[in-house]
Amino acid sequence: MPSARRLWDRYRSASPITIALLALVLGLVVGAVIIIATTPAILNAWRGTFHSWGAPGHALKVTFDNVGAAYRSIFTGSIVDPPQFWHSVTTGRGWTASLTPLSETLTYAVPLVIASIAVGITFQTGLFNIGANGQAILGGIAGVAVATLVHLPMALHLPLTLLAGIAGGVVGGAIPGLLKAYTGAHEVIVTLMFNYVASYFMLFTLLSTPLQLPNQTNAISRTMPGGTQLAPLFGTSSGLRVNYGIVVALAVTLFAIWLLDRSSIGFEFRMTGANPHAARASGINARRTLVISFLISGGLAGLAGVAWVAGTTHYIDQNFLQGSAGIGFTAITVALLGRNRPIGIVWGSLLFAALEVGGSNMQANTGIPYDLATVIQSAIVIFVATPVLVKEIFRLRALRAESVKVATAGWGS
Amino acid sequence: MTTLAASAAKVRQPLGRTKAIGWFIVVVGLFTMFGMGVGTGTAPHSTLTFTPIDVSHGAPWHLANLTLPTEWTLVLLGAVIVALGAEVLVRRLAKGAMVRVGLMAIVFLVAVLVWASRQPGPSQVPFINVTAILVGSAAITMILIYGSLSGILCERAGVVNIAIEGQFLGGYLVGEMIDSATNNWLLATVGGLVIGALLGWLLAFLAIRYLSDQIIVGVVIVTMFTGLASYFNSWVLTPYPNLNNGNIASNLAIPGLMKIPIIGPTFFDETGFFYLMLVLVGLVSFALFRTRWGLRVRAVGEHPQAAAAVGISVERTRYVNVILGGAVAGVGGVAFAAIQGQFTPSITSGFGYIALAAMIFGRWRPSGAVAACTLFGVSAYLAYNLQSYQVPISTEILLMFPYLITIAVSAGLVGRVRPPAADGIPYSRE
Repeated sequence: MPSARRLWDRYRSASPITIALLALVLGLVVGAVIIIATTPAILNAWRGTFHSWGAPGHALKVTFDNVGAAYRSIFTGSIVDPPQFWHSVTTGRGWTASLTPLSETLTYAVPLVIASIAVGITFQTGLFNIGANGQAILGGIAGVAVATLVHLPMALHLPLTLLAGIAGGVVGGAIPGLLKAYTGAHEVIVTLMFNYVASYFMLFTLLSTPLQLPNQTNAISRTMPGGTQLAPLFGTSSGLRVNYGIVVALAVTLFAIWLLDRSSIGFEFRMTGANPHAARASGINARRTLVISFLISGGLAGLAGVAWVAGTTHYIDQNFLQGSAGIGFTAITVALLGRNRPIGIVWGSLLFAALEVGGSNMQANTGIPYDLATVIQSAIVIFVATPVLVKEIFRLRALRAESVKVATAGWGS
Repeated sequence: MTTLAASAAKVRQPLGRTKAIGWFIVVVGLFTMFGMGVGTGTAPHSTLTFTPIDVSHGAPWHLANLTLPTEWTLVLLGAVIVALGAEVLVRRLAKGAMVRVGLMAIVFLVAVLVWASRQPGPSQVPFINVTAILVGSAAITMILIYGSLSGILCERAGVVNIAIEGQFLGGYLVGEMIDSATNNWLLATVGGLVIGALLGWLLAFLAIRYLSDQIIVGVVIVTMFTGLASYFNSWVLTPYPNLNNGNIASNLAIPGLMKIPIIGPTFFDETGFFYLMLVLVGLVSFALFRTRWGLRVRAVGEHPQAAAAVGISVERTRYVNVILGGAVAGVGGVAFAAIQGQFTPSITSGFGYIALAAMIFGRWRPSGAVAACTLFGVSAYLAYNLQSYQVPISTEILLMFPYLITIAVSAGLVGRVRPPAADGIPYSRE
């Protein structure tokens, strides 16, 4: 009994984890409202309630069926489909189909973990890197260029490809970092604009001679040779796309934990982010901290881009990280959800990757567009960013979770 | 904030930066004179025409084509650029230097047009249509001004509205749908106004009531609405294409005035949204700087504690302004739809953010914003327009131009603009 009591107390005391879980619930509610408001079948059923008395029950059923089907497909598409799984357990066959949802979620989580850590590091320094997408694009281009245009033994080629990705991202991070440090240009505007510049630059390279697939007029790159790809974890024959990118993501997570909690530069990051006055007063070089933070962030974002190409698509085309496939904005939301901590970001990435993968499955099964996943993700983050609101909705007692701190400042810098 | 102000003081080295900017302008001018101008020879000529493309309301009085010797025109334009740079260097212009950079960009792009359209030359388009260029630029400028006005309304009250992009998108989507359904741009405008105001309210609610970081919440609202618009596009507009039929608003030509060559088609043969924009610019200018309401708004944006001490409700002022700002941006979205037509998910392509940068460039004043938006609008249109002249620069590079200008301008401005003192800082009474 006391343990149940303690659980209830913990729920009511609004720990960050409680807030995150309740935000997930609220995000799903928002998604359901949008489905109800826009799905013709549901709207028609409710219109029917004006004509007959038995209709409200029918309308409710139609509503639950549609919303239920949508959310069921998100779950079965991203985590596990219970009947299929049971079939595999009992017969020992069809494991590929049973494990594909998890494999896909992990595949999508890899670049998301890396890019979100990239964004989180700048948040910890009190900076806002909205340009992770552009930096990831540069990383992807640089990685593909080294993989396809340079010939090396494999033991060297794959590390060099990944390093090229990091270097591409570092260039992308250096621009806002140096501009802010030496001219004071606000990083939000510079990184936002740079996303568009990077997209057009990618189109340019994909349509120019060395990188474009020979004898093609479309914007598509050469394919990375096998030795430079991040191989599937269970072999190509397994049919599961999950790949050694996981190892890269894990290494980045460990690096970020070390960087933020153990290294002196990480301490300077956090100190600058927490209180810039105190940081300066204690002799921290603000300009140097800012530039290094952006270089590391850009490098990791570039690594995210190259990890995605090397792990899954093996080439880039004009849709690479564009529109709904862009990871830069999702990475911002994941970093906020994970409170800019590496471990939190890993959990946040798994959740958001699952929503994205599940969203595609939902579109395949019910026709409801997967963009709903983006809406749910953003709603979750809005709730996480305003814990007081969540507290009021669920009547939680105290608020231990502090609100997302002011990470950015006005234009005057 | 104060930290950033301090670091700005540290960064500010007006003379060194002014010199660099001045020399940069001079080098561009010399390139125009000697790189492009001298050596094209005496044979090529460039022709300017003045007849607008759309003459549905009657053509303005005829102006004969103007044929210029390419070489001398380029040398002259280059000399103008050099003069701009020399002015920056000689007068040590700290504040106006970036304005000269903007003028330089426009003169330089005109020079590139003159060079690219020379005949005999590689171009398939043997003339430069000055009127068409101005009409096209006015369209882009109009969109940007709506966004900048929205930004001014919010930021003068101390709230950063980075969600303008989302409000544009919302206004565009709703406006296009309503017009497609009813064929009535007035109803569409009301719809855009409502959706913009709603998105403004959401930002205000989260930023004012819950003291969230305004930039983060704004970006998340944009992300959310981008997703929602994309969802709506494939779930509703694809099955019901008659809700997205791509109508554009017809022009309301002002009789008489539109007969003036060049100026007539640019300013007096426009959609209603253009005239509404002009009215709004005057209204916002007047209200902010000439009325008691404006004084209160600016007090809230500069020093909310002081404003609260004399009995102004900081929260209410901010709510009202952010909702108003959202509504203006929403109408801007409808205006965008009225000139562009069919909705596609990424149609606003960062114009909301460029408008925000233009507002900063224009120092949080409607008049400044109009000037800045004109600079951005003209240079963006010229860059897009170059594609048709077979210039040896790839299309993708040309399309980067508006974004690169925005980056360059925001890098050259700092220490020379001062935002409202409380801009971006959540206000709480405790």
